[in-house]
Amino acid sequence: MPDYKLTYFNGKGTAELVRLVFAAGGIVYEDVRLQQDQWPELKPKTPMGQVPILEVEGTMLCQSNSIARYVAKLAGLAGKTPLDQARVDMIMDGMEDLGKKGHGVYWEKDEEKKAEKKKDYEETFLPQFYTCMNKLVGDSGHFVGNELTLADITFFNMTTLVGNYMKLPNVDEFSGLKKVMDHVTSNPGIAKWLKERPETPF
Amino acid sequence: MPSIKFTYFDGRGLGEVNRVMLAAGGIKYEDVRLHESKWAGMKPTTPMGELPLLEVDGKTICQSNSIARYIAREAGLAGKSSLDQAEVDMIMEGVRSLFDKAAQIFILPEAEKAARKKKLEEKEAPELLEYLNKLASNKGYFVGDQLTAADIALYVNYESVGSLTIALPSLDKYPNLKKVADNVKANPGIAKWLKERPVTTY
Repeated sequence: MPDYKLTYFNGKGTAELVRLVFAAGGIVYEDVRLQQDQWPELKPKTPMGQVPILEVEGTMLCQSNSIARYVAKLAGLAGKTPLDQARVDMIMDGMEDLGKKGHGVYWEKDEEKKAEKKKDYEETFLPQFYTCMNKLVGDSGHFVGNELTLADITFFNMTTLVGNYMKLPNVDEFSGLKKVMDHVTSNPGIAKWLKERPETPF
Repeated sequence: MPSIKFTYFDGRGLGEVNRVMLAAGGIKYEDVRLHESKWAGMKPTTPMGELPLLEVDGKTICQSNSIARYIAREAGLAGKSSLDQAEVDMIMEGVRSLFDKAAQIFILPEAEKAARKKKLEEKEAPELLEYLNKLASNKGYFVGDQLTAADIALYVNYESVGSLTIALPSLDKYPNLKKVADNVKANPGIAKWLKERPVTTY
């Protein structure tokens, strides 16, 4: 019985970052995928009425980014010093902003407004964001230090998810970001997971 | 302790959790309050075009949540073990989501505002506060039996949401959360800050 039990729906969504970190760290965990009809019974038992949750040492953690940071610490991917950890954190939070803004466009009900927002997101926001993030990549091809951290993995995961419904800038035009993506996809644990993970609708 | 410079606008908003934690930790810092007119000139020099910023040890950290986690660690408010830290994290993210929802509503056009405001005030906020009340101990601490950043985040975000003209239920309805707020206010460094901080419109 693994020491860690992750519960989410059968999709990537906000749990995939955690799964990627477990994979990169080579840490065994139970990857529980809920059916929709199982959710109402579980919901009041969770800390904040949401998934993903991680059960560990008799405690339930919620909030996907908090779980990801915890697993990253276990896997040695959180950043070495407090300041490094803060920089990993800030990259994660920056990517969260990209995701939230993309969601805002995706869920816009008014078709005309949605088209306008999508155009602005793809043609103005994303190029500016990529330019900004590219500057934050070090010569090593990592966001923080000389090794893979949660920051690199978050960039990969969030852009991949958003890329499912938005046109992303071509990462080949951003040399720093390209290196980050290559580092992530060539990590043995992650490469294996990307090949083996279930195909899901989201 | 390296010298610390914290930059935000002249208001509480996304900056106040950090200022309160610095006060709780007795950490001296330069509290830079930027006038809005100066922002356009400063923006391109920042890591992600946003405030607040923390400058420490020649490095610049952005993203209010990341700054908060860093200061929490420096101030001894982050939680003792990795698991404790994850629990502090998840509470901070949960309460922050309340502030984010309120801030999104605040900037909506009037026509959409009323319905969203009602939903937050009558459904989403009471639900989340109910969950949070269960997560806090009856001694008024979210994690362990000492003040952490989680407790401070609840107090500051609750206060800030109120200043965004959202009518939250009174904390009297949530006895554990009321104790959390009392514990925060009773911390000597925080009590002093609450008395002396500049009065601002938000």
